[in-house]
Amino acid sequence: MHIMIIEDDPVIRQELRQLLENSLYQVSAPGNFEGIVPFILERDPDLVLLDLNLPGESGFEICSRLRLSSEVPVIFVTGRTDFTDELNGILRGGDDYITKPFHPPVLLARIAAVLKRTKRNTGREEAVLSHKGVELDLARGCVRYECREMDMSRNELKILHYLFMKKGEIVSRVELVEALWDQQVFIDDNALSVNMTRIRGKLGRIGVQEFIETKRGMGYRI
Amino acid sequence: MTVREYVKDRCLFLLLHICCMLLAGGFLYATGYPGDYIFLLLLCWAILLTVVFGASYWKKKRYFSQMEKILEQVDQRYLLGEVMPDPVCLEDLIYRDMIRASNKSAIEKIRDIEEERKEYREFIESWVHEIKAPITGISLICENYRGEHERRIGGLNQKTWALVEMALYYARSDEVYKDYIIKKTSLHNLASEVLLKNKYLLIQSGMTAEVRCEDEVYTDEKWIAFILNQIVLNSVKYKREEGAHLCIYTERYGHGVRLVAEDNGIGIKEEEAMRVFEKGFTGSNGRKNERSTGMGLYLCKVLCGKLGIEIGAESVEGEGTRILLEFPVGDYYARESDVGLF
Repeated sequence: MHIMIIEDDPVIRQELRQLLENSLYQVSAPGNFEGIVPFILERDPDLVLLDLNLPGESGFEICSRLRLSSEVPVIFVTGRTDFTDELNGILRGGDDYITKPFHPPVLLARIAAVLKRTKRNTGREEAVLSHKGVELDLARGCVRYECREMDMSRNELKILHYLFMKKGEIVSRVELVEALWDQQVFIDDNALSVNMTRIRGKLGRIGVQEFIETKRGMGYRI
Repeated sequence: MTVREYVKDRCLFLLLHICCMLLAGGFLYATGYPGDYIFLLLLCWAILLTVVFGASYWKKKRYFSQMEKILEQVDQRYLLGEVMPDPVCLEDLIYRDMIRASNKSAIEKIRDIEEERKEYREFIESWVHEIKAPITGISLICENYRGEHERRIGGLNQKTWALVEMALYYARSDEVYKDYIIKKTSLHNLASEVLLKNKYLLIQSGMTAEVRCEDEVYTDEKWIAFILNQIVLNSVKYKREEGAHLCIYTERYGHGVRLVAEDNGIGIKEEEAMRVFEKGFTGSNGRKNERSTGMGLYLCKVLCGKLGIEIGAESVEGEGTRILLEFPVGDYYARESDVGLF
């Protein structure tokens, strides 16, 4: 997935690039906005994050001109909160509109939603993840090990999913809680412990032992 | 102005006439005039006096009632000087000129203040606009380098933004009618985004939360998000020490949808529950914490009023608080199930 950032503030541009790269997107962020429309068309990104207040041409104009020849999804990012801007954004063919100061998780969620809606997302996430012989089946919501299966609850799946994505890395408890919040599971440290115990119990019943290591004072690792 | 008041006001003038009448009568009697003539003379005098006096009363009365009528009709009473009727006597003319001069300076002052207020509001808006960039930068940096310190900074950054936003919305609260888009809004997404925004703050405070909002309403997202944000921040501020929980859910009532934000915090004293929406009301909880402006819920109330939403609070001290937002659904929306934008 290739995302292009059109933003004139260098600090925000730099940090946005890093945020999106950390979320495993491919990012380009030009610092020069002359001839930006042909540049975007040539690079053909999967999504454009477009600031409204740019030196020279405004974001609206850029979007209008993009729409003449391309259906690339556009999310407007702006400091203005006037309803006229929002309306204008929708009328000019923007797919979403987010105001500064946006919250990184919210931005990521909106990007994911737009990509999903515009169907350019070609199955980045695999439905089955495996590690050390343990298979996590997200579509069916269960864990498999040597032909034995165990159903998992929604929260347990989300925890396991995050751990599977970070195979071999130590994941701290705070990081896990935050990742769960991003998935709209608003729990705290205690609830995480309860879920962890349950996951270990369920894994134990299908014969998986010591799959999740506890690193004292640091976190978990699979 | 009644006859009695007028007579009282002119009593010196009447007294002078009565004295003159007595003196003239006495003098004529002493010089040997017959009593009948004197009586006739005095009678004529009295009749003339009454007629003159009555006429001047009537003129005055008409003048002032005309002015009262005008005063009732003009939309700005300080404009009276400009529309006063032509005066009857010199005195009134002088007063009118004085009132005109005084009003003119009042009008100028009002205009200056209006201008100043407008400039101030514009300054606040552009200032808020400017400060968005660094706040966005900070929150991005915190997200990218998620260490212990960055998490704390992230939480404080969010709090800072909530305070800045409060100033912006206060400056704008007069002009809600100019700045909204009513559209079909998923309260579930809205509430989740508000919680996500306050992620660091809530996690650090040990809060857990739950969102169960299946219902959709027609409203303006931006203003509702602001209102919800204030409510969430209040829940954090007045949470209980252990096991603090916030549940945001919707329920249907009659013709509308009710959004409930229910926490298990320290609650509000019964006698204070009615007053939490008053401007500058901090209550005993707010004073204990020494960081309450008493503006948050007041602003929520004002904005809800402008958006046609009912806001209310229910609380049991020591057990928790429920803030209720009632979105009425009109027949028009009830019939048209999917109007995107209008």
